[in-house]
Formats: sequence, structure tokens, C-alpha cells
Amino acid sequence: MAEEKKKEVKTIPEIPKGQPAIKVDVIDPVSLMQYDACTRCGECDNWCPTLDAMKKDMNISPRDKISRWRDFMGKSYGLRAKLFGAKAIPEDKIQDFNDHLFHCTTCGVCGSVCPAGLNTIEMWEATRQQLVLRGNGPYGKQSLFPKLIGEMHNPYMKDQKQRLDWIPDDVEIADESDIAYFTGCTAGFNQQVLAVSTARVLNKLKVPFVMLGEDEWCCGSALIRTGQPHIGDTPRQAAIHNVEALEAKGVKKVLFACAGCFRAATIDWPHLMGRKPNFEVVHIADYLAELIEQGKIKWEGTLDKTVTYHDPCHLGRHVGVFEGPRKVIQSMPGVKFVEMDRNRDLQRCCGAGGGVKAGIPDLALEVASGRVKDAIDVKADILASACPFCRRNLGDGRDAVLGKKTGDFNKKDAVDGEMMVEDLIVLTAELLGLSTDIKPLPEK
Amino acid sequence: MSEGFSYYSGIPTFEIMLGIALFAVLIFLTGMILNMKKWGGGSVKAFLSAFIKSATKEGNQSIIVTLVLDIFLQRRLIRRSPFRWIMHMLIFVGWVGMLVLSLIFAAFEMLSEIGIGSYDLAMIRDGFDAPNEIMGYLLLIGLIIAIIRRIALSDVSKRTEMFDWVLVLGILAITVTGFIAEGYRPDANTLWTFVGADEAMAKTLALFHVAISLLFCIAYIPFSKYMHMIAAPLTLIAHGGGE
Repeated sequence: MAEEKKKEVKTIPEIPKGQPAIKVDVIDPVSLMQYDACTRCGECDNWCPTLDAMKKDMNISPRDKISRWRDFMGKSYGLRAKLFGAKAIPEDKIQDFNDHLFHCTTCGVCGSVCPAGLNTIEMWEATRQQLVLRGNGPYGKQSLFPKLIGEMHNPYMKDQKQRLDWIPDDVEIADESDIAYFTGCTAGFNQQVLAVSTARVLNKLKVPFVMLGEDEWCCGSALIRTGQPHIGDTPRQAAIHNVEALEAKGVKKVLFACAGCFRAATIDWPHLMGRKPNFEVVHIADYLAELIEQGKIKWEGTLDKTVTYHDPCHLGRHVGVFEGPRKVIQSMPGVKFVEMDRNRDLQRCCGAGGGVKAGIPDLALEVASGRVKDAIDVKADILASACPFCRRNLGDGRDAVLGKKTGDFNKKDAVDGEMMVEDLIVLTAELLGLSTDIKPLPEK
Repeated sequence: MSEGFSYYSGIPTFEIMLGIALFAVLIFLTGMILNMKKWGGGSVKAFLSAFIKSATKEGNQSIIVTLVLDIFLQRRLIRRSPFRWIMHMLIFVGWVGMLVLSLIFAAFEMLSEIGIGSYDLAMIRDGFDAPNEIMGYLLLIGLIIAIIRRIALSDVSKRTEMFDWVLVLGILAITVTGFIAEGYRPDANTLWTFVGADEAMAKTLALFHVAISLLFCIAYIPFSKYMHMIAAPLTLIAHGGGE
């Protein structure tokens, strides 16, 4: 179980007597209403992966978090507050609430199972932002995101000039095309096997594509998920920059192999910009599924493995892409496809989302271990996904469950007789007879 | 108005009833305005505007489908727990059914009082006896299940707060007082009556029952867990419903 980190001491300006202890100005009205719509049935508690990983510590319960924030709102803006002034809320209670809220991976399963249909993802993210503005949030290393992404345009402290370093000599990038490939920071810098595989697959399928290269900025997802979109206005600036750059290339379709970037481009960018981009946003899994339906993919190998698929939250529950990835995997020769008990909109989160991997890595690992056990239960040889963060965290979870260190996440997952954790684009590349070797990394 | 024709065998003081009803509605509206201001960051207009924008956004399913499948039939709940769905539907149908029947009868009484039309109120009331009885029993069964669940299931019991008990016990009090008042009616057309039914007692109990119903089930809504009865359907509409 993830252990609570030592609480950070934060300085909050003193609230004058009778004044509300909390503000709600960045939480949209419908989200605020939802705090009063909760029936406290507790269905969310039956599904929350963080609550499971924290051994049912009810401070983490979605229902209890809703109750606490509703109570804070009542004390600050309820009838009594209107008549006699707002009631004071002890600072430690607000800080505790903040810390518990930042333990959430914002996977959204609580909203999926909620009989009242609460959109909990929007509630959590907006409330996080309110707490960051108040001085309580974010949590742990999440506070590094604004500086890194704001200044470097990626969270990995890499120079923008290194954006194209992963491209091997055999990969062909078009000067002009209707299609663009948005690589994303993680595939471009830290899990290059994903970028290399995507590019080689597109080349093999004779799909010419352009890229933004050094002009590609971080999608901003990490800032939005951790309640920090206002700091430096970075996500909005990134959305405008990326969308305008892609539009300037005249593309009609932008492919994403990263579920986090895909979610940002589908939901967050239009929201931040106040308009839809002039191109279609497509996840590579859906794109491949379409090509399979059109008979344009001819597999050149066979896998002969039992494969299960983990729906990334940002691809599945957040956007609704469930079937494309399954179609791709199921079409692979020799694959015996099995579903885990919890799949599609009821899937168990990998534990990396919502800034938890950066902020509370022990917790992320514990949640991932739970998901790996789900895959072990169905006797999968390969736990496939379609998101670099899931790939990394499930890989860590697999290592934790097995008690050994097996992976170099920049390369194809290599295990010896154990369950492989791999992205479906890497499996696709292999079955198309392509190399997944990355370009040799420069000497450090 | 004629005593014999009024609800529950004659609450003599229609004006008192009307006063309590108006007071309850006034408190309810005040509470709703306060809530909408709270949600809208101090502005009712901001809330309504955001709500309408969300409810009418592209891709939402038809509001009729949301009303029928998501709000009235509560399909999201049955998908998760058929047992809780049955319990909740019993309470929901019973409560809403009795509210609707009461409003219809109150409307006839009101029209009669102000001289618009002439109605046989006794006949209408007798006609409502059976549906009222059925709704009352549905509500009672649902509440009994809810209470047993909250006491007997350790997981549920541990997480139950006063906030939850107020809702269940409040409706239970109203339901039970309704049955008692009905039982004391000399002309009660119910499955059971108290031996030696007493007209004076019946009137007092009926007034008490209606007063707490109005205060608890109308006035108190915006300030309690009852608020979910409004906010949850609004949430489903705002998000375009769906499974």
C-alpha cells in the first residue's frame, strides 16, 4: 500500500472572520451543482482503483470527497453563511481534502458507475484547480510541471531541438500530406519504440505523414489533469500553438498514438481555444482498425499468444474509443484475445493518470499491480494497451508483482517467460515484419 | 368550503393549509435561489446559462429519452444494482405518485374555493383513495428496505451519516403519519382503520401530516439530501443522459 508522504507545509493567507474559506470561481456551475446531486449511494467506492490500492482508506473515497467539498460549500455559501457570515473551516481539513483529492488518478470510473451520472472528471479537475489557486495544491513533484512545460514545452527537461532525434534513417517523413503524426513528449523522448513503430507502420502502409518536429509543444495534459492550467496559461498557449501549426501544414487528419495527447486534442484543446480545430483528431488504433476493415493491412507474421487489452482511461472512458484497439488486436494472426473482468468503461485504471505517477509514485505502482493481477487472472501472455503512460506504469506494476526489473521502456518490452506489457502499435509493427529497434541513443 | 369534502375527511382550516403551503413553497424557492446562486458563483443567471448550454450541446441524446430512461426508469441504477433499483423505485414511484395525487386534489380544492367550476370533491377524494393507498404502501416498503439495508449491511451502516438518516427517517415519518391519519378517518376507504375512529383526531392528524409533508418534503428540499431529487435529474439532463 502506498504510504502517505510527509505533509507539505503550505502558507495560506488568513481568512477574515465571516469570509468564505474556499472560493468556487473556477469550478463551472454544472460541476458545482453535481456536488449536490450525489445521492451518497457509494457505488463509486466499489470501483475506485485508488481506494482499493489504499486498502479502503475512506478519505480517498469519491463519495466522501464529494461530501466534504459540499460541506465546505455549505459553510461558505449556504443559508447560514448568507445570514450570519461564512463558517470557518480549519485549514488542516482543507489541506487534508486537497491531499486526498490529489490521490485520485482522475480515471473517471466513479462517474461511469454513478447512478446520478455525475461527470466526476470535470469535478475533480476543476476543484483541484481551485485548490491550487488557493495555495493548497498540487501534490509533490506535480508542482514542477508548470515550469518544465511552460519553459521547455515538454515535461522531460529536453531541448526542443531533440524532438526529432528519435527518427531513424529508414523512416520517411513527408513534406506535405493530409495526415500528420503528433508524436507527443513521452514517445518522442522516453519511449521511442512507440514513435519508431508508429512511423514505420505508417511508412509500410504507404500513409505519407508530416510532423511538427521542433515545433511540437507538449499537449498540456499534465497541467490540466493536476489543476494547473492557469499557471502561465500554458495549456491554452500550447493548444493554440499546436493547432495553428497543424492547420498551417494543411492537414486534414492528425494521428495520435498517445492516449493523453489524444484526450487533450479531442476535449481540452477545443475547450481551451473556444473552437474546434480544422482537422480530425484520430487515435492510431482507430485508424488502423479502419484500414483493417478496408483490407489494407496484410499481416506478415503470427503472434501465437494470449493477449488482453487494457483500455487507457484517456482513450476509453474519457473519449469513448473502445472497439478500435480490440479490432486491431483481434485481427492479428495467432492471437487468442481475452477480456479482463473489468473492461471498457468499467476498466481498472493503470494508476499513472491525474499526475499520480509524478506526485505519488508508490500509489501509482500499487494501482498498477492491481491491474497486472487482473491480466494474470485471465492468463494473458501479453498485456496490451495504447498509451505510453499505461505502458510504463503497467510495466512497473508487472515488475513489482514479479519482483524483478525487466524493462527498458525506451525499447520493446523484453521479458523472459513472463507476461509482456506492450503497446499495440509495437505489436502491429512486429506483425507487419518491421523492426522496432530504436536509433542508438547518443553517449551520455 | 364544506368540511366533509376536504382532504383527509375535512381539514377545516383550508386557509391554514394554504398558508403553510405558501410558506413551504416560499422557503423552497428561497433555498433554490440560494443554491443556484451558489452554483453560479453568485449569479442565478450564470447557473441557468451554463446549464442550458450544457443541456443543449451537440451530441446529447434527446431530452425525452433522458427523462424517460435515465430519470424516470433510472437505467443507470439498474445496471449497477437491481436490488437498489427496486428499493429506490418503490420510494421514487410512491413519493412522486402521492405528490402528484395531492397536487391534483389540491388544485380541485383550490379551484372550488375560488369559485372556478363545481366539483364533487368527495367523489374525487374517494376515487383517489385506492391509488393513494397503493403509492403509500410502495413508499413504505421501499423505506423499510432502505432502513434495513442501512442497519443490516455493515459496509452501508459504517458509511451512513445523519445526512442520510434525515432523508429516510423524514419520509418515513410522513408516510407513517399519513397512514395513521387515514386510519382515523371515520369514512376511510382503506385496507385497515383504527378501532373507534375519531373524527376530531382524524382532522388533527391530517393537518399534522400535511403540515410536516409540506415543510419536510417541500421547504426542506434545498437544504438537505432531498436536494438530490432536483440536482440529480438536472445533472443527467445537463450531460445529455445515456448509460
